[in-house]
Amino acid sequence: MAMMTRDEKFWAGARWLGFGATFMFMVFPIFWMVLTSFKVARDAYSTKIFFTPTLNNFISIFQAPYNFGPLLLNSLIVSFCTVTIAIPAATCAAYAFSRYQFRAKNALMVAVLSSQFVPPVVVVLPFFILFKNLHLLDTRLALVILNLSFVLPFAVWMVKGFIDALPADIEAAAVVDGCNRFQVLRHITLPLIMPGVVTSAVFGFIQSWNEFLFALILTNQKAVTLTVGLMGLHTDKGILWEHMAAASMLIMVPIFVISLTIREYFIEGLTMGAVK
Amino acid sequence: MNSREKYVKWVLMAPALLILISTTLYPFLYSFATSFRFWKLTRSPHPRGFVGLDNYIRAFGDAGFWNSVWVTIFFTITSVVLSMLIGLAIALILEKATKLNTFMKSLLIFPFAMAPALKGFSWRFMLNPDYGVLDAMIDAVFPFWSDVVWLGEPYWAVFWLAMTEIWGWAPYIALVFIGALGSLPKETQNAAKVDGASTFQVFWYITLPQLMPIVIMVGLLKTIFSVKMFDQVVTLTGGGPGRATETLNYYVYNQGFKFYDMGYASALAYILVTTMFIFAFVYVRFLMKGEQN
Repeated sequence: MAMMTRDEKFWAGARWLGFGATFMFMVFPIFWMVLTSFKVARDAYSTKIFFTPTLNNFISIFQAPYNFGPLLLNSLIVSFCTVTIAIPAATCAAYAFSRYQFRAKNALMVAVLSSQFVPPVVVVLPFFILFKNLHLLDTRLALVILNLSFVLPFAVWMVKGFIDALPADIEAAAVVDGCNRFQVLRHITLPLIMPGVVTSAVFGFIQSWNEFLFALILTNQKAVTLTVGLMGLHTDKGILWEHMAAASMLIMVPIFVISLTIREYFIEGLTMGAVK
Repeated sequence: MNSREKYVKWVLMAPALLILISTTLYPFLYSFATSFRFWKLTRSPHPRGFVGLDNYIRAFGDAGFWNSVWVTIFFTITSVVLSMLIGLAIALILEKATKLNTFMKSLLIFPFAMAPALKGFSWRFMLNPDYGVLDAMIDAVFPFWSDVVWLGEPYWAVFWLAMTEIWGWAPYIALVFIGALGSLPKETQNAAKVDGASTFQVFWYITLPQLMPIVIMVGLLKTIFSVKMFDQVVTLTGGGPGRATETLNYYVYNQGFKFYDMGYASALAYILVTTMFIFAFVYVRFLMKGEQN
């Protein structure tokens, strides 16, 4: 290898330094939460790195008065239902947007895209009143309905990106063979874009799982989700950090695990919707 | 195309469009109608009389509203600029596809995938003046800042609010930029290097201009999401100290769900929507242009 010039040496050094800084910046806040979740209260309120670990925090968040068990169930049900409704609907719409040319297409696509930019607080005001009148406040159904408002449009654009990347010729052959459009979509297109569909499903799941504003406003007891449950650890005595950290693990770890399992598609899908 | 085929696309789109109409268009129009009425939920469950533009006019004389506008602007500029700069820096660091960099790219997903509400709590914990680990680190490196209560000082509180946002978004922006950097033609860069251009000159005069369209796209997208940010206000600062971190979103939330003033909250929400749509309009124009190419 040729000798490095001074300029190259400098930037190689800077790159390593930057690598270290990035690592610290990205990982440290998470690392600290993880560490704190294994601390007893006395250690949690200190900057100790070495301590006797305990699993008590994970046990006590599931007991009274915190009871995170039902909250976990709510988060799971709400996220699961949202995805189950959103992804099939989004896939069909994405297919139509990708494969058909029609007059209202651009306007409709812009409408779908723009709906993502409506601030959630605008959406929630009328729904709060509507749900109040329908006695749907503090139900999981209310949360599923509102979560659809942001999971669906995102999924439409994401799946569309994957279908766009698929050559239309493959389908044309099937059409010639006498398949109708629904058969083509089901037997030819869908298997080929499965990675994209799964990626958007995972992404939609994460979005609903992390959702905070809607759940904060629409729930207060029965349908409270994990993220809003954190507010319950903010007591008169201040924030119970060791419990907060354990509850954070409950929220973070499942998300981290599923995003790592689809890591490659995750990055691809994520960066595809935003910029072409 | 036969006539049956013509309806297929509408059948395919129907479920998604129906859901979107009822979850977005309906509230959108309902808020608009409500913004012209007097309606305190504490006094009546139904909207009272029409007040014309009163709710909008009220906003212009409301110090709390103007405060929230300035907080939103300050927060948005800080978080957009810093997350773009840090994102770009990370992208340049991780540009080459080595094993170590691939590992690091997986780690970048974590802050992005973390619940925003959690980001707020986690940074709040680290910034605590008594037992916060970040506070302790800053004190060790910069002793003259050891008396600062980070979330107790108005400007610092907004800065740290932006920091929670940057922490989640810089990695996402980095991933977008890494993808973009990989697709740039390498010939010009190499030619410039042969001609004796320094690494920085190559970046500044060649790579950056080529990257500009994507920088603009990401910048617009980040601006929209910064204006939308809400969760961390609740979990990091609760709007405080005083009103120093009450963003426009948070102010609307307070008017609507603390004071139950639906008419006024809707009007404020509409002012927010209008501002957002200016950015969204520009963004969509850019994106659709790319779509047609």
